[in-house]
Amino acid sequence: MDYFFEKEVENNARGRVEAEEKVTGKAKYSAEYDIPELAHAVMVGSTIAAGRILNIDIANAKEAPGVIDILTHNNRPTVPGIATEEAWKKSRFSLPVFHTDKIYYNEQPIAMVIAETLEDATYAASLVTADYEESEFETNFKEERDSVETIETKEEKGSRENWQNADHIIEREFKIAMEVHNPMEPHATIADWKNGELTLYDKSQNVYGVQGNIAKLFDISENNIRVISEFVGGGFGSGLLVWPNTVVAIMASQHLNRPVKVVLTRPQMFTSVGHRPESWQRFKIGADKSGKFLGCYHQAKHATSSHTGHTDNITGLTWKHYHFPNIKTEQEEIPLNIPKPTWMRGPGDASGAFAIESIVDELCEKLDMDPVEVRLMNLSETDSQGKPWSTNYLNECLKIGAEKIGWNKNRKSKPGELKEGEWNIGYGMAVGFWNAGRQDADASIEMKPNGDIIVRSAMTDIGTGTGTAMQNMAHNFLGIPKNKIAIELGDSDLPYAPSQGGSWGLSSLSGGVAAACKSLKTKLVDLAYGSKFEKGKGNLKLVKLNSDGISMEDDSLEPVSYKSIFDKNNLGVLNVKASSSPREEAKKYGFCSSAAHYVKLKVNKLTGDIKILEMVSVADGGKIINDQAAANQVIGAAIGGIGMALMEKQDIDHNHGRLIGNDLAGYHFPCNADAPIIDVSFIDKPDYNRNPAGAKGLGEVGIIGCAAAITNAIYNATGKRMRDLPVTPDKILMA
Amino acid sequence: MKPFEYSKAENTTSAIKLAGNSSMYISGGTNLIDLMKKHIHEPDKLIDLTDAVSSEITVQENGIRIGAMVRNSTLAEDSLILDKFPLLSRAILKGASPQIRNMASTGGNLLQRTRCPYFYDTALPCNKRIPGSGCGALEGNNRMSAVIGYSNSCVAVHPSDMCVALVALDTKVEILKPDGNTEMINFEDFHRLPGDNPQKDNNLPDGAIITAIEIQNNSFNKNYDYLKLRERESYAFALISVAAALELSGNLIREARLASGGVAHKPWRWKDAENFLKGENATEENFKKAAELAIEKIAPLEDNKFKTEMLKGAIQQSFMNCVTNR
Repeated sequence: MDYFFEKEVENNARGRVEAEEKVTGKAKYSAEYDIPELAHAVMVGSTIAAGRILNIDIANAKEAPGVIDILTHNNRPTVPGIATEEAWKKSRFSLPVFHTDKIYYNEQPIAMVIAETLEDATYAASLVTADYEESEFETNFKEERDSVETIETKEEKGSRENWQNADHIIEREFKIAMEVHNPMEPHATIADWKNGELTLYDKSQNVYGVQGNIAKLFDISENNIRVISEFVGGGFGSGLLVWPNTVVAIMASQHLNRPVKVVLTRPQMFTSVGHRPESWQRFKIGADKSGKFLGCYHQAKHATSSHTGHTDNITGLTWKHYHFPNIKTEQEEIPLNIPKPTWMRGPGDASGAFAIESIVDELCEKLDMDPVEVRLMNLSETDSQGKPWSTNYLNECLKIGAEKIGWNKNRKSKPGELKEGEWNIGYGMAVGFWNAGRQDADASIEMKPNGDIIVRSAMTDIGTGTGTAMQNMAHNFLGIPKNKIAIELGDSDLPYAPSQGGSWGLSSLSGGVAAACKSLKTKLVDLAYGSKFEKGKGNLKLVKLNSDGISMEDDSLEPVSYKSIFDKNNLGVLNVKASSSPREEAKKYGFCSSAAHYVKLKVNKLTGDIKILEMVSVADGGKIINDQAAANQVIGAAIGGIGMALMEKQDIDHNHGRLIGNDLAGYHFPCNADAPIIDVSFIDKPDYNRNPAGAKGLGEVGIIGCAAAITNAIYNATGKRMRDLPVTPDKILMA
Repeated sequence: MKPFEYSKAENTTSAIKLAGNSSMYISGGTNLIDLMKKHIHEPDKLIDLTDAVSSEITVQENGIRIGAMVRNSTLAEDSLILDKFPLLSRAILKGASPQIRNMASTGGNLLQRTRCPYFYDTALPCNKRIPGSGCGALEGNNRMSAVIGYSNSCVAVHPSDMCVALVALDTKVEILKPDGNTEMINFEDFHRLPGDNPQKDNNLPDGAIITAIEIQNNSFNKNYDYLKLRERESYAFALISVAAALELSGNLIREARLASGGVAHKPWRWKDAENFLKGENATEENFKKAAELAIEKIAPLEDNKFKTEMLKGAIQQSFMNCVTNR
């Protein structure tokens, strides 16, 4: 809780590395670059959910002020990767934007108006009309989901017969509404294709991913594409793929031979850059009298788009954090005439955790046992392949969280026993769990004669504090004060980094930064001491870099200033670059991040109103590199969890197959008044098997399990089991 | 949005002179600008009233007069209002967001249009937007729609919180008609039910301007409540809202006021419930009976059946809050 209120900032650090740029407005987001000759484009969406375009009328739009041109499937430049059905179905982009007359979903882009100003383009876009031949469509997940059977996701562990006579068996169904990412910054692209060189200022969580995908789609060399996402205003997964705004901006720039900017409107943010698909789950759990889990059977179905698939691995978590001797999981996707879903914070696991963590709560009631105790006795000691956890402190998270919220002191195990006037008070808890992944990542360092360094990586910083963490890590690995360490990131001209997703960003990058720091030390030692170093102890760990120069911790060699090193070797700057991969050693272990979430809330029995009073999240993210940035991650995720539990849902009008209320007034995610002060703490123990920094990813565990902690608290308050998210006040009243 | 001409009127006389066939008045613009961006209103000319209409709150012999240009934030924080009609302040503060309230005007608040999602999407049918195109909500998603006073043409609700308090407080609306005459309209008669022509939200004559509202002194400044149920705590429209006020003598109810938002095409007064409470004691039992009298009249649609239970609970809770002053 005190991360933002009582903390003294270290005297040589200045908070976040990008703080000044962000608060002064100097930070440039993708749509904010001043490019000479820039034209503005606005996409026009279809007004039917399925069918064929018969005719697009662009005559009125063409006459509107400022219009330069209008692109449709009739006149766009051909993009090889989506030119044929065979090609686009194979491509990772998977939408034949402007290359087909077929309509797969409402608001599919059918035209783009390019004009001298955004205002001109916006108005002219409203004048484009189309005639369609409509065909039958399906948008109703609830109606369609029974038409498809689930299919085994992996080989069954044990057998369902082994626990058919278990002392306690519960089977329940769970539903979660369609949710939309809605980062604050709308997706935007400026494409500038000149003399064979394509520059993209593109809101993304993965600059190399965009570069690779665009190279394939347009059949051009990656070397001729530069992708810049220096500042990113949030993502939550919406920036992991290439979306139509990027492709059409490039098409327009190619067509006009001018730089072109496309910025999505907020309603377009709901139809163009993915969402968490609506889902249904059935979960059956068996346990013996002592509370030991005997088996589970988990089925899940979720919506996807009919034109291209997406899988949310909803049953994945079932294999991870608890030990079930018998497990069977099945899934299937239901294709609908809706925009493509994609990964959204805690993809799959956030949905799966709602089912698992809810049914475990229900089981505990049947067992008449404490939900914390039952979880502690069922935690898995290995990963799903039987490998021991490298580190797993979920047990500690559970105990610390219980202590913080006063679980044993304040909570009543029977529902409805705590009251305050018309309000019933309840406590609930649940856990979150996520694979602590790591990918290959490079980094480079440039040093100046005065000892200032710039650490570089192509990794984006979507608000998580990546740059600040890089500065912290470089400081820790080298010793150079933080105020002499600058950071550059979010550019495909910089050393390779994977996407900033899957909670592996920092974990991967720490390897790159550590390797680059080692290279810098090696190089400086070589330049400063030459063979004297090898003759001496030769231990790089004893080498210290301070603000002025290099020295040995054991004083075995004379300190040498950077200036003299640079002068002696006639160097302007010193550059090192290094690569990193997960260690071979790591293959022996399972890796996980985890969290325990505790909630206190009250529910009004007359009105159904729900107020969250307290939230405690205790997370194991390995060594915490920057505690403010880490706490910020978990707080944001917890608020996302409140949204998932209580309000986030995108409505669809099934008569017209169209999203309704798709703007920030119609789609509700929590505001400050909905969130209590969230009490975050960390185990803060390193896992050096994972990476040199000992850190494990924290992006997802904060949201996974949150919704169940809230609905479990609602049950504790009211005696009502809520298995259909979001739990809006009407559902409480009608339950 | 469609290009338009803009002029700022110096006074109401010149505003009326400037008005024409395809013109609209604008004050705070918090709703109209959105409607123009979404091509729901496409006026050729905007006449800015910010200088033309009073932004004063003045004491009168029998009450308070509020100029139509008084901003929502100003009104909610005004000491006279907090003293005499705190219910109004509380209702305003439950609406929109601080940024919107800073811009929104008193007159404009009365004239804001429904937030029914079918009204806002030009690709969907809506009789209020295009008469004769059908009501998308009637057979579609009508979770947020009306439960009383609706027609087959329209099930939209009036979105204002402020207006719910104003109808409860027997406000009068002063309008200036294009012929130069002034008229006072009872607040309850200002907005209308949809009937067969839901494109008309209210009874304001074409080209007329709201110049002020007047609230008569009353004794509802001690026991009052505005309860708003919604899916998030700010910047969300009401599922159900309740303005309740009691004039108490000991435990005896001398007068009661009860109105709701989120239920009808206009801010709705529950007069049967008010009449029942008058002369009764302020007890949970009587509040429950009052709530039951209100819900007797409603006829929910497919997706908003919950509003019966929610309205009943909200009325009870709201009257209880009046007594405990929570």
